Amino acid sequence: MSDGQVFYEDVQTGDSLPALAVTVDERQLFFFSAATYNGHRIHYDKDWARDVEGYDNVIVQGPLQAALLARAITDWIGGRGRLVEYAVQNRAIAFAGEELTFTGVVTGKRLADDTGLVDLDITGRRGDTVLMPGTATVALPRRENRS
Amino acid sequence: MSEQSLIDAESASRVGTVAATATGEVNRRDWQRWATAVDDHNPLWFDTEYARAQGYRDIICPPLFLQYAVLGVTTLDGLRPDGSSGAVSGSLAFPRAPRRMAGGESTQFFGPAYHRDEIEMVRTIKSIVEKQGRSGRFVLVTWQTVYRNQRDELVAAATTSMIARP
Repeated sequence: MSDGQVFYEDVQTGDSLPALAVTVDERQLFFFSAATYNGHRIHYDKDWARDVEGYDNVIVQGPLQAALLARAITDWIGGRGRLVEYAVQNRAIAFAGEELTFTGVVTGKRLADDTGLVDLDITGRRGDTVLMPGTATVALPRRENRS
Repeated sequence: MSEQSLIDAESASRVGTVAATATGEVNRRDWQRWATAVDDHNPLWFDTEYARAQGYRDIICPPLFLQYAVLGVTTLDGLRPDGSSGAVSGSLAFPRAPRRMAGGESTQFFGPAYHRDEIEMVRTIKSIVEKQGRSGRFVLVTWQTVYRNQRDELVAAATTSMIARP
């Protein structure tokens, strides 16, 4: 994950981030709800999810999808990269047990006050269905500044 | 014939006001529990020596965890029937649109947060609008939130939204 630091100069528009594939199970839903103080029943109470809110199963927290998508970015940018801006939308729900894929593609790069900024389109998907589209900006180290 | 708005007058009157303020201490055990729940083993969150080698003074809080460092507590009796606490939304409730889900979030991060940093959050209700989606009407609520540390440095600024449906 962090052994191969990516540098600003190495990145080109159109480059893809390594995809992160995750199948969230009910244990992970539970621990994420616990870690975020989220008592919403739709993440652990199947009867409530189905009978009251109309879902077929317990659903993956939107913030967990967002955290997984951010993880795909922070894994890629390495220890000297920095997440500067992060924006996502919850477009569709995901159920426990479904394989989700978190990806990103470089849409541009620019220097701002000598900082190398890289813009990304990021997406959480289930198959062809986009669950969570978004954008992010990261700061990457520059090769000439390497100490 | 017009349909009744999903937005009650009391909620509508709160646009522009502070929905919530909170303070909390950033805690490495809490963020490490969060990171582990995400299966995110980035050494910046766990390994002091590694973090120092990257230029930080210690391990840092994962940026997306910051929002949870200021969460308060809710009594069991104070929970909504759906189990949610209302802490996130500043207790906005829509009797005509009780089903709620997170809409989206957009956050700028200005600097790292460290273990035992004291964070102050101020959240303002930016807008409450009714929209028509593929599966019917819903209410979109947008908040603006700023996070400052004990040195009054801006750590993050976020726009978040929630969807409430009938």
